[in-house]
Amino acid sequence: MNLRFDIEKQLGEFSLKINSEISGERIGIFGSSGSGKSTLVHLIAGLLHPDSGELYLDETCLYSNRKRIDLSPEQRRIALVFQQAMLFPHLGVKANLLYGYKRCRPEHRKISPEALTKVLNLEHLLQRGVGNLSGGEKQRVALGRAVLANPRLLIMDEPLSALDDSLRYQIIPYLRSVSEEFRIPYLFISHSITEMQLMTDRVLVVRDGRISGISTPDELARTNMALSPHGYMNLLRLKDPVMLEGLYHYPWGTGSLIVSNGREEGESLFELSSRDIILFKKNPEAISARNLIECRVAEMFDSGGRKGIVLESGSQRLVAEIVRTAAEELEISPGATLFAAIKATSFRRLG
Amino acid sequence: MNLTPSDIAAVALSMKIAITATLISLPFGFAVAGLIVFGQFRGKVLLEVLVNLPLTLPPVVIGYFLLLLLGKHGWAGSALRAAGIEIIFTWKAAVIASATVGFPLLVRSIRLGMDSIDRQLLQASRSLGAPWYDTLATIVLPLSFRGMLAGSSLMFARSLGEFGATIIVAGNIPGLTQTIPLAIYDYASSPTGTTMALSLCLVSVVLSVAILFVHEGIGKKLEDGRSQ
Amino acid sequence: MKTTRHSFLRVVMLLCAFMTTAMPAMAGQLNLSAAASLKESINEMTDKYTAKHPGTTFVKNFGASGALAGQIENGAPADLFISASTEWMDYLKNKKLVDASSEKNFAYNLLVFAGATSKKVTGMNDLAGLDKIAIGSPKSVPAGDYAMQALKKAGLDQKLTGKLVMGKDVRECLMYAELGEVDGSFVYRTDALQAKKAKILFTVPDELYSRVTYPMALTSTGARNSEAKAFIEWLQSGEARSILKKYGFVLK
Repeated sequence: MNLRFDIEKQLGEFSLKINSEISGERIGIFGSSGSGKSTLVHLIAGLLHPDSGELYLDETCLYSNRKRIDLSPEQRRIALVFQQAMLFPHLGVKANLLYGYKRCRPEHRKISPEALTKVLNLEHLLQRGVGNLSGGEKQRVALGRAVLANPRLLIMDEPLSALDDSLRYQIIPYLRSVSEEFRIPYLFISHSITEMQLMTDRVLVVRDGRISGISTPDELARTNMALSPHGYMNLLRLKDPVMLEGLYHYPWGTGSLIVSNGREEGESLFELSSRDIILFKKNPEAISARNLIECRVAEMFDSGGRKGIVLESGSQRLVAEIVRTAAEELEISPGATLFAAIKATSFRRLG
Repeated sequence: MNLTPSDIAAVALSMKIAITATLISLPFGFAVAGLIVFGQFRGKVLLEVLVNLPLTLPPVVIGYFLLLLLGKHGWAGSALRAAGIEIIFTWKAAVIASATVGFPLLVRSIRLGMDSIDRQLLQASRSLGAPWYDTLATIVLPLSFRGMLAGSSLMFARSLGEFGATIIVAGNIPGLTQTIPLAIYDYASSPTGTTMALSLCLVSVVLSVAILFVHEGIGKKLEDGRSQ
Repeated sequence: MKTTRHSFLRVVMLLCAFMTTAMPAMAGQLNLSAAASLKESINEMTDKYTAKHPGTTFVKNFGASGALAGQIENGAPADLFISASTEWMDYLKNKKLVDASSEKNFAYNLLVFAGATSKKVTGMNDLAGLDKIAIGSPKSVPAGDYAMQALKKAGLDQKLTGKLVMGKDVRECLMYAELGEVDGSFVYRTDALQAKKAKILFTVPDELYSRVTYPMALTSTGARNSEAKAFIEWLQSGEARSILKKYGFVLK
């Protein structure tokens, strides 16, 4: 999927001026509130009209001031998932799901209701009304409704922001299924870097109504390391732990990671802040932290006044964050061997 | 309480006129409310003022304007007459009078209902492939039912009590345009008619209360049907 | 605060004083309630009387005789009442609201059918062919009552259901006829003579209705008023009668 835009929009005091092109199947739009990302998304969907410019989706011109083209929302085949699910209150779950499907041209109907309800686990909800669904259920139905419209592009506008933390990471696999199972390209809007890392391959960064850059989620995390309150969040998928003395030993790199709240069954996703990794030049031998890993410095990067140290153990990597002066003191350079200490309790399980 | 045949005719006529006025006004009321709430066009303020005008004018003035418009020498009246359609001094005029004075009440209620519809719901509908008229019919209309119901209740009640405009443009014709208020007026003008007037007043009250209950009932049914 | 309370009380007292002093009629003011059909003739008479007796002024209330009787019953100020039918005079006599001893007959009138229509209307039987006919509401307007009597006697009342437009007094009926809102109206001959566009299409045969009689009397308040007594005397004078004649009323 290729999106090409060169649009301007003035909304009161706020002005949006975006000239960019981006390709991919899982694209993120990142920015803080008020940055203009919602406005951009409304413009792409046709819910807002630009003041001037052009907007192309693949080969189709969605908007062109010059050519006097402005496709109405229903003509663009761009479906949306909102922060508040926005299910039609007077229709039941089934009717909501089929709303877009019914209005889809037969030749475009690639995804069937049966397949969708299976993938999104909605079968037991089909006969229900929408009033009493939980937050997570509502978002799944909203997602299903949008996907069943068989759109060319799906835009998810902060779909997880209204959900509890515990719920958020349960929904992400469903959101990803849009691309993996249904092959629909999506635009994922969020202000959370972790969500970007989990959902997107490329990120468009928006600030003050302008594009401030296009990067990968990882580059984004690195750039924001110093500014973010949590530093660079390492995301680790760990499974098959061994339980020893109440702690979970997960195989990782050349050894293992010892985690306090793991899960015996299945794969778990963990978060580890770069700031929770302490580095030693020499093996400190006796420390309270359960994790003491010997690793090699793969690369280093700057972020604000901090230094990001990319540590390697076997094929696995972790990013640690230290202040620049510390890096100089310890004379850290790529290729050097370091010891990384991490407390078992520093890992936060997401799902 | 004993009602003469012409009294019963007045009651039947009042009901007929109120029901007709409400039914014909509903689609227009919905359309106008929709325009005001969702439309963006120049002159919207003018439309709002025009719609609210009958609320501020004395009904007799409204009746007079209607007479000017639809009367024999009126702007629209002469054209209608040529087509063989008589409006003035018929029950149709009474319907038009009721519809005109009740219209602002209807629009106001529907507007309130429409205002409470989250705009993002409409955006969702559009993005799922529904053109504006589809969205209007499948989303706006069902979600406006509450407002429409409240509005029609108000309009019906107002119509039952309509006097000023009706007497000017439809006249006081027993059996044809003499509604309950006009019949009461007739009785009340005569010192010997006060008891009869009271009887009719009672009937009027009973009718209004009944209509209110009916509307409440329908409203409840809608709510139950939704929250399942 | 004491001072604002004081001024507030002052204003209230002033208002009360003003209202109570405005209540009693000014010396020499007579309240007349008369049938609508008498408007022009009474106006001319009172002008003439005031010219001769400058101390007497009139407050005139014209309307349907039944409505007027109701007003008097409910306490509306009236010294003299002239009704277009004996029915409403009798009504007030029964309630002891008029001085029966002062009752005299004022005038008589004829009932006609007048209109501006181009349709052919020469008698009662042509009425069924018309679209709309205005009559005063029989419950309170004598002209309407007389008309209804005639229609019933002629056997036409059932045929005309849905065609009869009720007027609140005889003048409103005349107006309907003048404007062409109806094909024609039942009015008095004296009203029809005032009309500009409507003309008398036929006179209603006398045998179909009771004679149009205008009884007049002093109300119980008027009976205590010497000026009212003087005026009701004058209304029987030659001067007054010549005015009546001028407007087309029947005197005998």
